Amino acid sequence: MQCITIYRNGAHRWLAFGQDPARPENIVDTTQYAICTGKSVMLIDPGGMEVFPTMIAAVTRELAVEDVRHIFLSHQDPDVCSALPLWRRVCRPDIQIHAPWMWTGFISHFDRDANLTAIPDEGCEINLGGEARLRVLPAHYLHSSGNYHIYDPAAKILFTGDVGAAMLPELRTEMFVTNFSDHVRYMETFHRRWMGSAAARDAWVAMVSRLKIDIMAPQHGLMFRGDDVKRFIDWFASLDVGTGVTTLRNAIR
Amino acid sequence: MFADCLQAFHAFSELAELAENLRVLSLNAELAAGRAGERGRAVRALTQYTRELVNRLGQIQSDTTGLMARTYAQTATALRALHQMRLLDRAVEELDRSGGEYSGPARSRLAESRDQTGRALNEAIRLMVANIDSLAARTRVVGEVVSASDSIATNIAIEAVGAGVYEIEFRTVAETMRRYVEQLRTMIEDASAAVRSATEKGAGLQRAGVSALQSRGRS
Repeated sequence: MQCITIYRNGAHRWLAFGQDPARPENIVDTTQYAICTGKSVMLIDPGGMEVFPTMIAAVTRELAVEDVRHIFLSHQDPDVCSALPLWRRVCRPDIQIHAPWMWTGFISHFDRDANLTAIPDEGCEINLGGEARLRVLPAHYLHSSGNYHIYDPAAKILFTGDVGAAMLPELRTEMFVTNFSDHVRYMETFHRRWMGSAAARDAWVAMVSRLKIDIMAPQHGLMFRGDDVKRFIDWFASLDVGTGVTTLRNAIR
Repeated sequence: MFADCLQAFHAFSELAELAENLRVLSLNAELAAGRAGERGRAVRALTQYTRELVNRLGQIQSDTTGLMARTYAQTATALRALHQMRLLDRAVEELDRSGGEYSGPARSRLAESRDQTGRALNEAIRLMVANIDSLAARTRVVGEVVSASDSIATNIAIEAVGAGVYEIEFRTVAETMRRYVEQLRTMIEDASAAVRSATEKGAGLQRAGVSALQSRGRS
């Protein structure tokens, strides 16, 4: 599994883990993130159980598991949180696990012994220490009905979960989008079908447009930086989403 | 092992219906015996004994339902533990391969966790094997009921010979009971074969689990 540092300012670092060649073919590719501030680390969407072995190996090349004090789960999907019981076995017992309030009972199906800290609808702030005061932003209905993104004002990085996700046909050596218009084809079907609410999309576009973002970091595919961030937001703002509804209209005639 | 257990439970699935058929048959036979007066006295006693056997079958049916629920739960626990062990093993291999700067403590915790999971798996298998033993005991009891019911059917047939106008009625009871006994016998044969197979696999799994834990303990 590749790991790259996407931000560093002293002890404050963002690491991205992904493009894993050991991943079984039928398992969707995911990108996991770690935010580090010295002795305090937060894993963001640490991944499904099938990627746990390579992920733990990649993580321990960069940081000590004793320093992982927070795990953030953006929503309830298995590729986000099914490895939770395995992470809890290697991390410190007082680790804080942040999860959407509406999914705590559901995520417990993966790990009934986990003590989850419920994130309220309006989001919250997670202070990792130092300059890393993270804003947990609501991103409900994109795609999950209880869904959150993370904004790091110091690093100017926005973690966007499934927003900005791309289904790449093969592994890449690079982890950033280099040709936005070419990349659209890997995002379009996913966003049209997975994102269910145009109203939520519009509110999200309005919200993130007020942020200074250098890097947009989705959970699948490649990251966006520089002008590609705005390109993505503009593209997403005009996309027809919720296309699955058509099947409901046509199901019974 | 779980598949064998399922097969045994499947064999037992008709027990309730067979027991009910036997109960109704014994009630009808008792009524016929009452009508036969003195000539039906022995048949009446035999049918009362049949109802006791039916009650034993009812108890076994209830026990089997409980065993089935516990077997499902323990199998789920064992499968979850097996899956986790596979992932933990892979994680240890990946850590060894990567040799990351911070891999040492993670590796120790993974190995410890793997051993805990192994112990939980062994415990789940032990409980499953205990369930299979209970199932085997119930199977033996049903076998005894089959044997006793067969004798009762034979005795009713003998009594039918001297029952005069009630002969046909008693003989019908005896033949019907033999048919039910045959169905019970087939059920027991299927269940016994599945239970034997499950017992062998359970013993093998327990030996493998203990040996794996012992060799990890030595290493």
